[in-house]
Amino acid sequence: MTARLHVDLGALARNIDRVRTVVAPAELMLVVKDDAYGHGLAPVVTAAARAGVRWFGAFDVHTGAAVRRTVGPDARVFSWIAASPDDIAVAVAERLDLGIGDAALLEEAAAVARDAGRPARVHLKIDSGLHRNGVRPEDWPAFAARAAQLVADAAIDVVGVWSHIAEASDDEDDLARAAYDLAVEQARAAGLTPEVRHLAASAASFARAEFRYDMVRVGAFCYGIRSAGGPAAAELGLEPVARLEADVVAVDGDGVTVGMGALEGLPSSLAGRASVGTPAGPRRLLALGERMRVEGWADAAPGDRVSVYGPGGDGEGTATDLAEVIGTIGEEIAVRVSPLVPRVYAGE
Amino acid sequence: MGAPGPEPRSGPVAWISRGALAQNARDAAGRGIRSFAPSVLQADAWGHGEALVRDVLAGAGLAPAEPDDRALGGATLFGLPGGADGARPALRLTGTVLSVKALRRGEGVSYGYAFRAESDTRVALVTGGYAQGIVRALGNAARVLVGEGRHPIVGRVAMDVCVVDVGDAAVGRGDAVVFLGDAAHGEPGLEEWMRATNLTAAELVTAVGLRALREVVA
Repeated sequence: MTARLHVDLGALARNIDRVRTVVAPAELMLVVKDDAYGHGLAPVVTAAARAGVRWFGAFDVHTGAAVRRTVGPDARVFSWIAASPDDIAVAVAERLDLGIGDAALLEEAAAVARDAGRPARVHLKIDSGLHRNGVRPEDWPAFAARAAQLVADAAIDVVGVWSHIAEASDDEDDLARAAYDLAVEQARAAGLTPEVRHLAASAASFARAEFRYDMVRVGAFCYGIRSAGGPAAAELGLEPVARLEADVVAVDGDGVTVGMGALEGLPSSLAGRASVGTPAGPRRLLALGERMRVEGWADAAPGDRVSVYGPGGDGEGTATDLAEVIGTIGEEIAVRVSPLVPRVYAGE
Repeated sequence: MGAPGPEPRSGPVAWISRGALAQNARDAAGRGIRSFAPSVLQADAWGHGEALVRDVLAGAGLAPAEPDDRALGGATLFGLPGGADGARPALRLTGTVLSVKALRRGEGVSYGYAFRAESDTRVALVTGGYAQGIVRALGNAARVLVGEGRHPIVGRVAMDVCVVDVGDAAVGRGDAVVFLGDAAHGEPGLEEWMRATNLTAAELVTAVGLRALREVVA
């Protein structure tokens, strides 16, 4: 296996600047779940903190704790999944912001915080239509009232109200936003004083100013991963941060064999349907099993670099270009890259 | 930390059965196979853990294959579709129910509302998404086991979670969900995943084993 993932932290910092410019005055929360979308948690968090990012989104509390250790006490770290009281205890101990979208979880958080003698800092989640995490609108007023009671008891601090949109259509997202606005209003009526409202992720944060509120949660765009079916990264002022590459290990017949295969995380369904970048420009990906077969070029030689996806310097497409060939999204291509593929950093 | 917390966990768990690996290797030895294909050790032994797998192979008296050997391959060793009859799956993938709530007729689920409820039902939010190898294409295309019942994954699988339509089954926060088990015992298996994703058993199981929390069991 000769594959490596080349990560340009300079490009990451430029994307972060670009996103912050677009969404200002809203704050950027950089989403770093799943090893920073496969780019490597600690290097990404360190570079982002240096670029001025103050909020990090970490999915689970263990990732949140790892971010806390990397950036120190001042950054805000948001986790929105706690599977158990032990998870909540980690969140309280590490001073994480915890997303709460379930009445039972709210009670768990309050109980753990009382035991710890320190209020849990929470962001209450309204289900504005996605029907994953979040309290349904008809249950929300009672949920908000209960939260206000727990604030009065000093068991929790409610610092945010948030939701997550489906991006099914602009009209449906508008309905979600109306449901969100109503939830914020009802939370205030219940006596809560949420200081951070956040609703939008990558696509809406760029396309729809009215979805930005106080903060946007952006992962994909900061890594230069455009939306499937959406505008090119360059049109958005973004650049792909990662380049997945491997070496030619043999030249035979009309093709080359490349030292990377499906077990490194590249979907075998791409074979015969996608192209990759070579010293001679784009070439067809012929087969993808234990290794990769790629259409040859004039003076191909072992050791030549093949770029599977990246910014395009070798004629390769982006992660999202590959994803679209098999009906998925660039994020899935990025996070499937095996953790055993070495990450190589530049631009530190 | 970064290590798995106590149960229930915020990410799905890949349970690797030493017993299944050992039995699959012993059965192969019983059929006269004396060596294993070196490819079974690739990618941390297809996500099962190279040290464990080496130990099991040595315990069964199997040596690395020479080019013309009739060797034990990954499908049989790991109990995947296409392996020898009777080979048991060595990897079991489970998630945890984070919450359960009502879903009303006509309401959509997850990105793009790719699923809409035909009637009032209940949905469970479950740990495990495409970042742990629960391929995005499994949304609306695969079923999981919760308690005694099989229930469909509905809507788009997200990066770290998915949604399961549990109807009126007695399911609650903290319950275990089986994504992959032993199809021979009526549990969800890789065949359904292969049909839904157009990917191979080897790459499916490897991605899961490398990305989910991994635990070795007897």
